[in-house]
Amino acid sequence: MASFTRKSAWNNSGTFKNQDLLWYAKGVGKMQSRALNDQKSWWFFAAIHGQEISLSQFPGWGHLPSPPQVPTTPLPTLTVRRLYWDQCQHQSWYFPPWHRGYLIALEAQIRAAVVSLGGPKTWALPYWNYFGPANQYEIPPAFTKTKLPDGTPNPLFVKARYGPKSDGNIYVEIPPASEKNMNNTVYTGSNVVTKFPGFGGPKTGFSHGGGTNGNLESNPHNLVHVDVGGNGPNNTYGLMSDPGLAGLDPIFYLHHCNIDRMWAAWNAKGNPNPTEQNWLKGPAAVGGRKFAMPMPDGSSWIYTPADVKSLSQLNYTYESLTVAAQVIQPADKMAQRLVKLGAAPAAATAAAAAGGTMDAGDNAELVGANEGPVQLKGSGARATVKLDTKVKKKVTSSLAAASTASLPDRTYLQLENVRGNIDANKLDVSVNQQHVGTVALFGLRRASLKDAAHGGEGLTFVMDITDIIDNLFVDNALDANSLDVRIVPSNPVADEAKITIGRVSVYRQGQ
Amino acid sequence: MTISPQERARIYIPILLISAIAWMMLLVNPGSIMTLAHCPVTDSGASAASFRMLLAMNPVSSLMAGWAVMLFAMMSPTLLAPIGHVVERSFKRRRARSVILFVIGYAVIWMAAGSVLLAAKLLLSLVAPQTYLPVVVVGLIAFVWQCSPIKQRCLNRGHNHRELAAFGIAADLDALRFGINHGAWCVGSCWALMLFPMLLSEGHFAAMAAVTFLMISERLEPPGPLSWRLSLRGKLMRIVVAQTRIRLHGLR
Repeated sequence: MASFTRKSAWNNSGTFKNQDLLWYAKGVGKMQSRALNDQKSWWFFAAIHGQEISLSQFPGWGHLPSPPQVPTTPLPTLTVRRLYWDQCQHQSWYFPPWHRGYLIALEAQIRAAVVSLGGPKTWALPYWNYFGPANQYEIPPAFTKTKLPDGTPNPLFVKARYGPKSDGNIYVEIPPASEKNMNNTVYTGSNVVTKFPGFGGPKTGFSHGGGTNGNLESNPHNLVHVDVGGNGPNNTYGLMSDPGLAGLDPIFYLHHCNIDRMWAAWNAKGNPNPTEQNWLKGPAAVGGRKFAMPMPDGSSWIYTPADVKSLSQLNYTYESLTVAAQVIQPADKMAQRLVKLGAAPAAATAAAAAGGTMDAGDNAELVGANEGPVQLKGSGARATVKLDTKVKKKVTSSLAAASTASLPDRTYLQLENVRGNIDANKLDVSVNQQHVGTVALFGLRRASLKDAAHGGEGLTFVMDITDIIDNLFVDNALDANSLDVRIVPSNPVADEAKITIGRVSVYRQGQ
Repeated sequence: MTISPQERARIYIPILLISAIAWMMLLVNPGSIMTLAHCPVTDSGASAASFRMLLAMNPVSSLMAGWAVMLFAMMSPTLLAPIGHVVERSFKRRRARSVILFVIGYAVIWMAAGSVLLAAKLLLSLVAPQTYLPVVVVGLIAFVWQCSPIKQRCLNRGHNHRELAAFGIAADLDALRFGINHGAWCVGSCWALMLFPMLLSEGHFAAMAAVTFLMISERLEPPGPLSWRLSLRGKLMRIVVAQTRIRLHGLR
């Protein structure tokens, strides 16, 4: 029996009748009363994720709407900052384990505060399951009240939280947010039910943002961030919309608790975590920073993914590991695909069973690309992706040969070197008028800074267009020399956002 | 999207082989291309006559050949990441061509920088012949440069792997331009480190090896904010130690 059970924030209607939320509010209040340089303070913990303390204008921490009133002094020593601050792992296979350790450390600090205030010793962080029944896609009401039941200010209330329509109505848009990635079966890699680069993310070293999102990070994680944060007045945005501000918003930790729950549920379905030493031992195995968290007793907890790879070893459990995602067997999915491409059902089943579940490995090849950078204006952008005749022939040959035991290519659309100044937006992407998917720009601004952790390369989005290409092939419409790609933002793009897409390309991936 | 390890190896192994061959040449030093010849006239101080004599004893072609060998030996391993980017973003049949164009762009910038650094070396050998003063001064400049925000800016820009056109002349020009840009930031980052071993009268092979280790290591560090900072840039050493431990542990 685990010592700590994380329960739904929507218990007792998500109000302060839910004791987990009431004590969370009190614990947050106590942490917020501490100074920035206090390792037990709310502000210090937010900076562990990422911080913008030194900026002289928004999104600098000294220029955010209050509440909360965010301090920018006194700073901890440089040594302390280098050990703890700006650690969050994104666009990386370390995304799930780093955030799990972060939650455990924050939870320990809150619990210590709760106990000191007379609360339960077994208090655990609640999770916000936006995929729950009824109206649970909405933020729990306790986060929208300005006062606690005793009439004191509610530490869970944040002014800079604007919602997907930027009207102060805070909820998660479902779809595009979904549990579909729970059907993935590969942590890092790809197969017929797992889009590249896999459920948990691509192999990286210490990765404080920039690059390609893992599937869990892309959806629902990033979409929820920008939905909750949204856009504010005068080109500002909500705290949750930007990794350098997100840890200041108390809802952040309930969102990540749900992401952590989804990882635990994914494991509970029998899907394994990586076994490579470079994952188990963390970025220190490849010369990078160690994961470090300050604990309530003043110690520093240095941890690796191996230390947090299962909840049971941490003495934690969740009230429910249920996810509503429809179960798709990889072999069935591959068999369906092969039949669609013309294979006999029996051959398809055999071929699927032989190779449908395996990781396809890294073997991508460029098929085509547009001419050059595309600027995203208010109404969106359009790009013509010209296909190389010879490489396209490889794709069509592969699809045609799918009637034998040979597995067909998968195809991906890649939005490369996406850069800009404002993260609070989502892009709807379609190819030849067929919807491909929606990506959120969470992390865009920081990944675009030339003198920050990613050197200004921006973000790269990889989207699976295998079904669309298969359909074009089946309809004898893959003769075209180009694809029409349309990118439509969910919110109007301000000129100041300066969002550009370096290149739009198509890749094939042999099986 | 990423290419297969086998395809990556097909590109990386030749690059590392070129580096290894160049290191062998540095070790053998054929035709004394890596060392500056002196005589009493050139050691007598700065004058037009002594400069002419120095050039006669050390032809520009020989100096530039030595510089090119040094460049390929020391810099090739630092180019694996940008070349990997060129390979991944190019059509398969264009990969070799794009890589060559990238290397040409990169090498042109470094050869131009090399001519300046070699001129500086000649000048210093005339102004302060047979003394350690130039080594000490350049060593100090290199140290200050290493700690400076300008150095960090150059390193950061070296991590910015830009978008590349896929088709036709635009793809060729982009690969060339990427090489030139990368070369320029690389010169900004490493000029002082490259000059330092050139001024040593003894032990410059060991110094070049140490500088190469440092340059590879600092490229492996992630980009960061601009500030004055004393950093050992020891990432390569940390990787070697961590991976050795992992493998030794696996053997137990």
